Amino acid sequence: MTRSISIWRRAIALCWLVALSAAASAQPLTVRDDRGIEITLAASPRRIVSLLPSLTESVCALGACARLVGVDRFSNWPESVRTLPQLGGLEDAQIERVTALKPDLVLAAPSARAIERFESLGLKVLVLESRDRADVKRTLNTLARVLDASAQAAAVWSKIEHDERLAVERVPAHWRGRRVYFEVDATPYAAGAGSFIGETLARLGLANIVPIELGPFPKLNPEFVVRAQPDLVIAQRANLAEMPRRAGWAGLRALRSGSTCGFEPVAYELLIRPGPRMGEAAQSLAACLAALPAPGGAAR
Amino acid sequence: MNKAQAAVVSLRADALGVSLGSTRALDSVSIGFEPGWTTIVGPNGAGKSTLLRALAGLQAPQSGSVHLHGQALPDWTDRERATRIAWLGQQAETTGELTVREVVQLGRLPQHGLFGALTAGDEAVVDAAMHDAECSAWQTRRLHELSGGERQRVLIARALAVDAPVLLLDEPTTHLDPPHQIALVQLLRRRAAAGVTVVSVLHDLALALLADRLIVLDRGRVRAVGRSDDAALHAALIDVFGGAIRIERVGSRWVPVADLER
Amino acid sequence: MPSLDQQRRRRLATRLGTLTLALLLAGLAAGSDGWSIRGLWETLQQGDAALIVGQIRAPRTLGAWLAGALLGLAGAVAQGLFRNPLADPYLLGSASGASLAVVLVLAASSLTGHGVALATASAVARLGLVGAAFAGALLGVSLTLILARGAEQTTRLLLAGVVVGVLLAAGSDLVTSAAPDALRGKQAFMLGSTGFLSWSACAVLAAGLLLALPPAWRLARALDALTLGEDAARSLGLSLSRLRAALVGALALAIGVAVSQTGLIAFVGLVAPHLVRRFAPAPHGYTLLASAATGGTLLLAADVLARSLIAPQEVPVGVLTALLGGAYLLWLLHRRRMA
Repeated sequence: MTRSISIWRRAIALCWLVALSAAASAQPLTVRDDRGIEITLAASPRRIVSLLPSLTESVCALGACARLVGVDRFSNWPESVRTLPQLGGLEDAQIERVTALKPDLVLAAPSARAIERFESLGLKVLVLESRDRADVKRTLNTLARVLDASAQAAAVWSKIEHDERLAVERVPAHWRGRRVYFEVDATPYAAGAGSFIGETLARLGLANIVPIELGPFPKLNPEFVVRAQPDLVIAQRANLAEMPRRAGWAGLRALRSGSTCGFEPVAYELLIRPGPRMGEAAQSLAACLAALPAPGGAAR
Repeated sequence: MNKAQAAVVSLRADALGVSLGSTRALDSVSIGFEPGWTTIVGPNGAGKSTLLRALAGLQAPQSGSVHLHGQALPDWTDRERATRIAWLGQQAETTGELTVREVVQLGRLPQHGLFGALTAGDEAVVDAAMHDAECSAWQTRRLHELSGGERQRVLIARALAVDAPVLLLDEPTTHLDPPHQIALVQLLRRRAAAGVTVVSVLHDLALALLADRLIVLDRGRVRAVGRSDDAALHAALIDVFGGAIRIERVGSRWVPVADLER
Repeated sequence: MPSLDQQRRRRLATRLGTLTLALLLAGLAAGSDGWSIRGLWETLQQGDAALIVGQIRAPRTLGAWLAGALLGLAGAVAQGLFRNPLADPYLLGSASGASLAVVLVLAASSLTGHGVALATASAVARLGLVGAAFAGALLGVSLTLILARGAEQTTRLLLAGVVVGVLLAAGSDLVTSAAPDALRGKQAFMLGSTGFLSWSACAVLAAGLLLALPPAWRLARALDALTLGEDAARSLGLSLSRLRAALVGALALAIGVAVSQTGLIAFVGLVAPHLVRRFAPAPHGYTLLASAATGGTLLLAADVLARSLIAPQEVPVGVLTALLGGAYLLWLLHRRRMA
């Protein structure tokens, strides 16, 4: 008699658990995106369109890759997303195609022109932007809430930190305290100390010639770079090759002594995406540093 | 234009002074105009076109005034002034795709306004104007397809179509060959005889001497006013043209002759 | 017995009418699968129709025609007012004003991270790119009119327009150097696209057309008089400064509305009046209306082509209008040299 009662109790408890968890995932979610707008979703989205590569990577890192039904033309990691429909970029997202895919949620960056149009067509848009490290973490957590994958988020973040620790160990001592110039664009736009790239470099022990006050991605006067005389220059390989031809840049000690890290496009993309692969980015940078000869002159 | 209107219309310039930039184009010009044909002559830069434009209300004077029918020009509304004064400029750079008839019809604009429709009476005036200017044959052709002389006749027709009691024409004989110049002179005479106040600027002295009255202008001032047989007028003409001409009588007319022995 | 001229005008009108209708229908069949009637049929049967065809394709197609009509009208007004067949409706600071306003809105939202009060920034951002472009176009033209000290002289007006254009463009560059993110957004917005036209956009465009067309058309005879020269027009009793103010106002309104919805689309305003003049030369009463209709048809055709040529991708519609317009102008020049 007691055995049957305890079985019954367990059965009821089990039913409650199932009901609760079912209710939990069917709970309407409310998240606030980077515009300050509250998005309410009836349930965790099952069909997602991502219009930013870093958001695509984050979704996949959180284990929800299967839920992606479309990505932008620049998303290329992981391999599986390359087979998904490519829906244009931020400025020229293909409205009809995206709508025809009937997504539950569209992920975009703030400068996407199509946001208003999507919303007027009844689609839900979550706008997320990551400029510094704190942003990356917040974006990851927001996505995790939406995807009901908070546990994965913690795992992703600890992997990032783990990879970064390994990277830090690889960096030779003679690079600590040295000053770096990380070029994002040949205009030149640089990654400053306040950007996620700058913060990663700081973790690796490198100082940035671009101080926090100038913002995360400032457009610099080329003279600024020449006068700052960075100990290390990091840029795309093609841009690095033509740097000595820029007026006055031939005088950069780092260029003359070969204290440079040049990356091919795919490897470079890894560095500039504020997503789950930040740890690998740190390792890529550390590997480059480890392979470079010791910088001349004293650390300033 | 009815006869009653014609009888009382007068155009008068009082101590008119016009400066174009730093140049004094007209200096204290005082002249009255009545029904009849008056012609303004003078050397280049005398201010003839400026005077005509000031009379038409296109050039605001710096000093003095122009009176139409006793009332200062600025006191007339644009449209009222336009129905009473027709003006044809010297260099008409025309654009667009209008046909000859459409151009001449523009002459009726002051009468019916921007939004009014053309009446049968308007069309009759247009027909008459084209007939007088001898361009009826090309009614349906586009203005820009015509030669210089043909185009000039159309523009004259446009001015005639305004049917105003005052007709101001700046160098109307430009591009016209001699037969058409004579025809124009005869037309102006007919209009003047019908009561229109015709004022023309002509560089051709031979034609100018056919007018009822001449005004000799030199460096912005009136040198002489008089009929074509006035000796004082002849003297003034010879003087302003630097003695390069003589005025001689040929038959019943006076004619300028180049003085080659000077 | 209608004259040759009247026959040509009627022919142009009917051809434009049938072409427009055909293109409007074609626009419903042009989608992410390219141009396909069968695709349209399938979509209609799928029950997706209300959204895909009704909410996306239909307003975009109609909106393209409306925007083109505004541009064509503005082009005809500009060419008549300035008596110059090469006059472009984006003169007088309208395009640069819209561009600067768009940049300011984009920069405001990105400058939020730099400590600008969130309240101010979001109010500006809420105004939206559309409102900003419209206001910017009108402000740009106003600035030009002020600089030219009223619409007294046409050449001074043109010169002031050029100066204002350069100044506002410099201002725009200044803003984008402070907020680089705004640069990409601005370039995209100003690139010109019919891809974001919704039914509300159509309503705005239609309102603009209804507000700008009647006054311009009423002043058509004044534009005819202007062909004789400014002095001759004045001697016929026209008040040129009031005329210019009214026509420039209609121009600014038309361009402001068009730019706010579609960005800058080249050549439509320039080419539409030329096409009308080529096929049916007429006084401005006809030319203004026909230029609007031709501009509409032109942009509509470019939009349908843009969607169909390399589907599912789109050719930027501004590229197509520039190619089509540029090719036509080259052909015109060639013919003129032969004649």
